[in-house]
Formats: sequence, structure tokens, C-alpha cells
Amino acid sequence: MSPRRSSPQPVSVQHAMTSADLTPVPSPERRGESMIDMHGVVKTFKSAAGEFTVLKGIDLTIYRGEFVSIVGKSGSGKSTLLNMITGIDHPTAGRVVIGGTDIYTGVTESQRSKWRGRNLGIVFQFFQLMPMLTLLENVMLPMDYAEMYDFDERPKRAMELLELVGLEKFANKLPVLVSTGQQQLAAIARALACDPPLLVADEPTGNLDTKSADVIIDLFEELSRRGKTIVMVTHDPSLTSRTTRNIIISDGELINETVAKALPWLRHRHMLEFSKLVQTEIYPPKATIISRDEHVEKFFMIHKGEVEVVLFDRKHGETIISRLKPGEFFGEIELIRGGKSIANVRAGANAPVEVLTIRREDFQRVMEQSPITAEALAKIVQERLKEHRAADSRSGRGLFSFFRRRP
Amino acid sequence: MRPRWRKVLHDLLDNKGRTLLVVFSIAVGVFSIGVIAGAYQIISNDMSASFAANQPANIELRMTNFDDAILSSIRNHRDVADAEARRVFNMRVRVPGTEKWTALDMVAFESFEDNTINLLNPLEGKTAPAKREVLLEKDALRDLDVSVGGLLEFQLPDGSTKTLTVAGIVQDTAAGAGDFLASPFGYITTDTLQYLGQPKLYNRMLIRVAGDGDDPHYIREVGAELKDKIEKSGGVVIRSRFAETHKHPLASTVNAILGILLALGILIVFLSSSLISNTLSALLNQHLRHIGVMKLVGGQRRQVFEMYITLIMAFGVLALLIAVPFGGIGAYQLASFIASQLDFNLLGYRLLPLPFFIQVVVGLLVPLIAGLAPVVNGSRITVLRALSGDAAEEQIQFKDGEMRLSWFDWAQVKVTRLLAARGIHIPRPFIISLRNTFRRKSRLALTLFTLTMGGAIFIAVFNVRVTLHDYIGQIGKYFRADVTLDFDQPYRVQEVERVVGSVAGVVQVEGWQFVSGELLDEQDRVIENLTLLAPPGDSHLVQPILVEGRWIRPDDVRKMAVSEGLRKMFPGLQAGDFVTLRINGRDEAWQVVGLFKFVDQEGLIGYAPFEYISVMNKQANRSFSYRVVTERHDRAYQDAKAEELDKYLRDQGFKVRVAQAGSASLDVAVESLDILVTFLLIMAILTAIVGSMGLTGTMGMNVLERTREIGITRAIGADDRAVMRTVIAEGVVIGMISFALAIVLSIPFTYGLSYIVSLAVFQTPIAVVFTYMGYAIWLGLVLVLSAVASVLPARNAARLTIREVLAYE
Repeated sequence: MSPRRSSPQPVSVQHAMTSADLTPVPSPERRGESMIDMHGVVKTFKSAAGEFTVLKGIDLTIYRGEFVSIVGKSGSGKSTLLNMITGIDHPTAGRVVIGGTDIYTGVTESQRSKWRGRNLGIVFQFFQLMPMLTLLENVMLPMDYAEMYDFDERPKRAMELLELVGLEKFANKLPVLVSTGQQQLAAIARALACDPPLLVADEPTGNLDTKSADVIIDLFEELSRRGKTIVMVTHDPSLTSRTTRNIIISDGELINETVAKALPWLRHRHMLEFSKLVQTEIYPPKATIISRDEHVEKFFMIHKGEVEVVLFDRKHGETIISRLKPGEFFGEIELIRGGKSIANVRAGANAPVEVLTIRREDFQRVMEQSPITAEALAKIVQERLKEHRAADSRSGRGLFSFFRRRP
Repeated sequence: MRPRWRKVLHDLLDNKGRTLLVVFSIAVGVFSIGVIAGAYQIISNDMSASFAANQPANIELRMTNFDDAILSSIRNHRDVADAEARRVFNMRVRVPGTEKWTALDMVAFESFEDNTINLLNPLEGKTAPAKREVLLEKDALRDLDVSVGGLLEFQLPDGSTKTLTVAGIVQDTAAGAGDFLASPFGYITTDTLQYLGQPKLYNRMLIRVAGDGDDPHYIREVGAELKDKIEKSGGVVIRSRFAETHKHPLASTVNAILGILLALGILIVFLSSSLISNTLSALLNQHLRHIGVMKLVGGQRRQVFEMYITLIMAFGVLALLIAVPFGGIGAYQLASFIASQLDFNLLGYRLLPLPFFIQVVVGLLVPLIAGLAPVVNGSRITVLRALSGDAAEEQIQFKDGEMRLSWFDWAQVKVTRLLAARGIHIPRPFIISLRNTFRRKSRLALTLFTLTMGGAIFIAVFNVRVTLHDYIGQIGKYFRADVTLDFDQPYRVQEVERVVGSVAGVVQVEGWQFVSGELLDEQDRVIENLTLLAPPGDSHLVQPILVEGRWIRPDDVRKMAVSEGLRKMFPGLQAGDFVTLRINGRDEAWQVVGLFKFVDQEGLIGYAPFEYISVMNKQANRSFSYRVVTERHDRAYQDAKAEELDKYLRDQGFKVRVAQAGSASLDVAVESLDILVTFLLIMAILTAIVGSMGLTGTMGMNVLERTREIGITRAIGADDRAVMRTVIAEGVVIGMISFALAIVLSIPFTYGLSYIVSLAVFQTPIAVVFTYMGYAIWLGLVLVLSAVASVLPARNAARLTIREVLAYE
């Protein structure tokens, strides 16, 4: 499916990450290109107990160079989703396009294996090194299968990859004789063997101690910086903070990423509920979204663009008290505390803004069911009010002027 | 049903492929032993019963012409139950309109209706021929394309022909038994003798003794008395033959062969038991988690043990259900085949209690024994080990609390590294195949055992075949003439040499003489027949394999070289010793100058110089029989020259009885040996099948256990072909190792098998000859078998979806 690659230049330990060993950093244009496109992917399993749909029409795009984490509870469908990306399983409906190749249409499992060997590296939770091969031989194995690089160059390249992950001293050991962390590093080296643009990891740190897990994630970050697209399934919320993008899957459906980012305290089922209820609104630059003293009936989450919170008075004119970015929200003060808007909110000056809205009654219903979220929002409200008071006092207005309609 | 018994039932029915493999493994062994034990019993019983049913003669006397008076006097002897006279003579016969003449031994009966000795089994047409009618023995139909009602043309000594009608086809189980080289028979009444130019006199007497027909000493004593009586009455006994009523002449040979088959059958049971042991070990490994859970919820070791023993018994019962009926049919088929080859009849298909019992014992006991160790180990396993599922790995050893590789794994890695350091890189998929081969060492050992045994036997059978053929070739050195000419009357040697020598392609002609005698013991009792062949003393047409002493010389007088079979009668006999021979009624002391190797089929054979025997026979410089050497020695040329000489000599007025190719009789002997080799080969193929089944089972188990690893290779880029190549390469590696081992093991097998077979067939051990053929064929076969045995597991491996595989984790 992909042409045989020419031999890469040798790399030294010190220069491993900057050498030509790995695919060069994608240009900004290429970084915008999609690496993974999933359209309406449905996966249904049939068993004696009946049919069970694990993925319910997934639409997902992951771009080149992204370091994406996929999280979800057990049974949410995250591993199945990963299997769809890796071509390990096939969807019941929908399309999966990886690097421009539709990997399921008219392709046999055998052809998919060959394609996978050349275009994709997989890292498993349980490492899955071949127990009868040394670490070096394990790293060479994908090159043999994919027929990549000249036969005599494969040992050299494999050794360089082991040096990359710091395992050169253990190259000739069987997996059983090294630690679990070292096995996982060797598995990553194996995943990089054919220099694939995409690395998929299924709970790569799930079986490791914290120190080893850190080493692995550091390596992933570095690889991501070097342009590899990395998709990682994890249970560990501490890891999601280190990825560039976090995708949450719940009950076979993807949670809207803006919702998840805006309201991370919500339970996944509530996030999913919001994901289904949100309405998209687009405002041109400088367009008013909320006017001061207006009754607010929605909760707003910024999806794209920037929002400005602005105060006006005759003496000082316009004061921008904050700029909110994608993943941030507004309108919560009014919905939680009641009363009218205490400031103007408008689209940023440079670009249109896309916001997702939730109706007041839906928002309040979910808040009642999610006291943790309500509490977190209450704290935010307090902080924002504090900021707002400070800003208002600087502009010569009293606290209650926030709730007054602008003349 | 209690849950644990329901689990046993579930285990039996759930994985049908595995159940079939185990059941089939057991069934193969049971089937083989059933076939062989059944055939053994059928043959050993029916061969003698069938032989006895035809009332075989205990004494057969070949005599000069005699009449009813001598016959009556013999019938009146107190130890004679019955006696019949026949006239036996050789004639040439052909189907009218065809060219090819066939030699036929004609047997004239006094009366077919009153025939009570050497009974004929009617197969088709009349049971008794009328005047100018002939009954044919069924073997005659091989050479004569004629059916009942058809005509046959008989050639008289003067060259004229007479025609007889074929009235029926019969089987004569006694006549040809024990003599592969005998001509086929035709049967007529004495009324037809005159028509064929024969006197209405007898030359053969068949006698059944009144006492114990199965007592060889008694039979010989009666025979000696009768001969005395005949000779006193003026008759001359040329040759005598003794047989027991219930002993087929080939019984000892057939029993020896069946003994070998039985040994091979037992071996197959052993091989299948290792197959069973392997399969059950794998099954127990797969069930470790089940055992762990059972023990976790309170199951005791004894209960687990009982469950799996019951499962094994169920496998055994299922195997018996398959193998017993097929074993019975197979036994009868094998017995029928042997019976048809040796010309005796079976008493019909029936259930045999002993083979049935043996099969039941083998079917139940062998799996129990083979499965005992895995079951005991499985039932003893701790809950922790069972649930962790690591009980099976052989790779890791702990020493002083430290994890270490086994020396073998260490050596494998070391060798690969050393090779790599010298720039020799083995492709990793092949390294996987190589190292996988040795991961389950106990399983590998059992697989290699079955496959190696199969291979060694297979190779040994080929070696034995060549050994036998080589020996026949050696025997052929006693028959180096290209054409044998027999005349109805003696001709002067110089005359025949001149006439025959004038035929193009003839290089040399020798006149030979024959004389029949009897070997006497110290009490002057006849102990064996002896035929003395008399080529010229300086003949090059005999190249004997001398065991001791020297070959004959032209000036030898009452000196002979004898086949080493003589030592059976005189164990301490050495070259230079004297024995007593009765020739033409006279007892003479003959010196044995040499002993040579030969096949003693009917009596002993010896050589004495033509120069002396022709004088003794009062036929100086004359002979009935000639040996001709031609330019070329192939069979086709020999046949052509025999036919040409026959015609030429008849045209010249010679009364030719028969002219035939020198290697004709050897070819018949080779054919009969090939039947024996075929039996051995069938068994060898059976062992090879068991071996390859073992390999299939092993590969299936390996693939099953390495499902996860196969999934991983697919996940990192192995396509169907790569997965299949890895699995098949492992099978082929096992096949090649077994081949190497089989090469070594085939050597003692060849010697052992050759020794047993040569003793059975030739009554003497023979020099072993090795041939590359068996090795080459087995190499090809083991490559194909091991590849084929791995293809199915490999296909299954390639079909596994990675999701299934990873779900296995």
C-alpha cells in the first residue's frame, strides 16, 4: 500500500530526536491535514444474548502531529474505537480513512496487516513483545514483515531505535529478562521500526509504575513534537493533561470536546447529554452575544474564536475585563445566581466566534444532578465576580452596577 | 446431572476439533492393532483350516511310471488312510490363433468323482472334465486368455498339436502352495492321456496317512516304509515330499511376516499413545484456569482427577466406536489380500473375540496411561499457578531466586548473535519458527519420536526391499544363463552347441545334467530331498556365494557343493565331511566340498560336475537341458532369443519341451517378494501417517497456544502469507530434525528387519544393502507431510482476527 522507503541516515544517541531517523516535522500546512477521518462508524457485536452496539456513529478527525488521548470508562468503547483506527477490527458501518487511505473498503485483513506494518505503530498495554526474540530482533521484526529498509541495514536501524529509547545495553536480551518498563520502551521502539507517521497506544502505561509511565509519556511528547501523530487510550486522567487533545468516549459516543473542556467535572453521561443538547451559534467579529442587564437564558461554551467581556461607562468608555478562549464558558453567573447580565459579552475583534449553548432549564437540571460541577462553577462564579468587582471599581462603578441595565 | 459432570460433557462436545483430534489419535492405534491382530488371527486360523479342508496329501511321491498294482499295494498299507495316483507332465499350450506358448503342468486324475486328496475347489463350469476336456487352475488364466467353453491348443513332443475344451476353472490350494515358481496346472482324466500322446500310467502318488496327519516324524516314517515297499515292488521313487495336514507350506513365512506386522502394530499403538499424551497435555494446559476456578470454589484434587480421567475414558470409548468396526473390516481386507496372494480361502467375515478384546484394552488403557501424567500434574496444580496460567512455560528457570534462561534458549540466542556478528542475519520470522520449535521441549520430543519412528521404518522398509532384491540378484548368479533349453530327450552336447551356436546372438552353450536324490541320516532314514545340478565343472554360469570350502571341479567324483540349509540337518557339518545320499535307489557317501548360500524352497540344492553326473546318469556327452548365453542379457532380448531358439530347434527336428528366458523364474521370485515388501510398506505408511498426525496435532496445539503471539505479528504487519510461512516453517523444521534422526535410527531398523525377513523367507540371514531411495523418498515425504500437517493450523492462524487474539489476553 505504500512504497518501499529508502534507507534513513544513521543517527547517534545524542542526535536521535533531531536526525532524519523519524519523519520530519510536518509543515504547518501538513499539520492541518487530517491523519484520521472517521465517518459514521458503527460497530455492533452479535452474541447469543443478542446484538450490542459498541460504537454508535462516531465522527472523528485527528490531525497530523496531534497527541491525542482517548479516555472513557470500561466498556465505553474506547478500545473498539482504537481497533477501528488500527484496522484490527472492522466497522459494521461507516468509513475510516487513515492518512488518506480508506482502510476497510475493498481491503482484506491480510492486506490491512501489511498496510499497518508500514503505516502504523501499535503499542499495547501488555507490551506484546515476541518472547522468543531478543529486544533487537523484536524491533527488526516489523521491518522484515513490511520489507522496509535493506536487509543488512535493519539491525543497524533497530539498534538506533533501541538507543533512542535507552535500551542499547539490553538489545540482545530476551524480553523476559528485562523490566516491564523496559519492555514497553522496546515495544515503542518496535512501533517506530518502519517509521510510521501514526502511533497508536492502548493504555501504554497501564501496566507500569509511575516512574516508567513518565518516561513513556515523555517519549511520546517528544515524538509528537517531532511530528508523529499519537493516539493514546488511557484510564489515567493525569496523562490527559499532557496530550494536545482529549477525546472522551461514553457509551459508544464521542463527547463534544468543547463540553468536556468547559465542564470537566461533569460525569461522562452528563457530558454526553450536553453534547447532544448543545446548539451552535456563530457570531461575526465584534457582534454582541450578551448585553449588560439582559436576561440570560443560556449557558455558553466557546468552541472556536475568542470572546471579550466588556464594561462601558461614559467616563472611561470601553473596558475589556477578560478575553475567553475555546473551552471557556460564560453566562453561568446569571444562570446560577439569577438576575440580569452584569457585563457585555461580544465576539472577538479578529475572527468570528462559534459558541455552543445549553438552555437554562437543561443546564439547571444537570447542575442539580451534578453537585460537584455546581460547586466548581460556584467557585468560578465567586472568582469572576471578584475580578468583575475589581474591574468595576477601577472604572468607578459599584458592585450592583453590574446588574443594572446600561443606559 | 451434577455440574462437574456436565462440564465433562461440555468439554467433550464444546471443542469438536480437539475432541476429534484426540479421538482420532486413539482410533488410529486401536485401528492398526485391530487390523493386524484380526488379520493375524484370521490367517493363522483360516490358512491351515482352508489348507486342511482340501485334504492335502501328507506324502507326495514322484516316481517313474507305475500302474494300479502298486497303487493298490500302497492303499492296503496299515498306515495309509487313502492314496491316489496321478500322472503329471509338462506341456506347452496356447489359445488357438495366438502365437505365445505357455508351459502348463498337466495332471491326469484317475477319477474326479472319487477324488479325496488335494481337493479342487470348483470356481466356474464343470467340476469333472470329460474326455478331451481340461479344467484350468485359476492361475493359468494369468497367461491364457481363455474362458469356459473355449479351446486350448496343446503341443505334443513331435510338434503336432491337439485341442482340448476348457470345461471349468478350479482352485487347487495344495498344488502350488509353497512354490512361487511352479507352472500353472491343467487337469484332465486319464482317458485324455492317450490323446495327448502320454501313456496311461501314473508317475505321482498322493497319500494321506491313517494316523496323526500333523506329526511330521510319523509322516516321514510312513513315507520311508512306503518307499521301501514301492522299491521292493520294482517302482522307483525319484523324490518325496511331506506335509502336515494343518500346516500350510508357507505358514512359517506368513507367521513371521505377520509377527513383523504385529510388532509394527504395537509400535503404532506406542506412537499414537505419545500423540494422545501430547494432546491431553495441551488440553490440560488449556484447562488450567478451569482447574484453578474449580479448586477456588472448593473442588478437591480427587474430584478434578476423576473428571479428567472420565473425559479420557470418554475419548477412548468414542475412539473404540470408530476403530473397532473399521478395524474388523480392515483385518478382513488384509487377510483377504494375503489369502488371495497365497491362494487360500478364508472362512468368511466374522467377529473375533480376541482382537476385539485387545482393541478395547488398547482403546481404554493406552489413553489412560498416556494421559495419567498430565492429569495428575493438572489436578495437583495450585490455584495461584492455575489462574496465572504460567504453569506451562518452559523458558524460564529460577536459580537462587534469580530468573534465568534455560541453557538451550541461551544457546539459541548466542548462536544467532554469533552468526549476526559474522554478518549472517537470519530473517526474524524464521528465527521465530526455529525458536518456537524448541519452546515445548517435551511435546517436541514426543512429536519427533512418532515422526522419527515412522521415518526410520519407512527408510528401513526400502532398504529391506533392496536387500531382498540384491539377494535375489545374488541368487541370480546361480542362473546366469540367458535362455534355458529343455528337451524331451537327451541330445549330444556337441550337436546342440553347433546348432544353437549358429543362431545369431548366441555366445555360449552349456549342457547341464540333473539328478534327484535323498539325504539320509545316520540310521539311513530319508531326512530331505536333494537336487543335484550339474553344470560343466569349469562353468562360469554359476557364481556361488560360498560360505565355506570350495566350488566344484571337473574332476570331482561323488563330491558336491551344497546349500547351507544342509547345516540344519547336520549342525556341525563342515566342508570336507561326508553325507549319505540315496540316488536312484543306491546309497552313496558324498563328500561336501563347499557350502553356499541359496534359497531352499523344496528340499536342498547341490552342485556336482557335469563330467561325473552325466556318466552316472549314463548320458555321457549328452543332456536333456542346456544353458545358453546371449550377447545381451535384458529380459526382452532373452524372451526374443528363447522364442527364436525354440522355433529354430523345432525346425531342425529337436524335440524342445521348453525354451524360456533365464531371468523368468527370478522375476517371479522378485514379484513374490514385492508382495511382502508391499505389506511392510503399508505398515510404514501407516506409521508415517501416525507421525504426521502427531505433527498436525502438535502444530495445532502450538498455534492454539500462540494465538496471542500470532495476533501480535499481524498487528505489526504480518500478512496471511507471513503468518502461514512462520507456522509451516516450524513444521518443516520439526520434519527435518526427525529426518536427521530417522537416518540414524533406520540403520539398526534395517538390520533388524532384514534379519527377521530373511530368516522367514530365505531361512538364512543375508547381507544388508542400503539404498538412497528410501532416504530420498522419505525426505520428500516428510517435507510434504510436515508442510501439509502445518497448513491447516497455519490457515487457522492466518484466519484469526487480531481482535479475537487480543481478547485472548
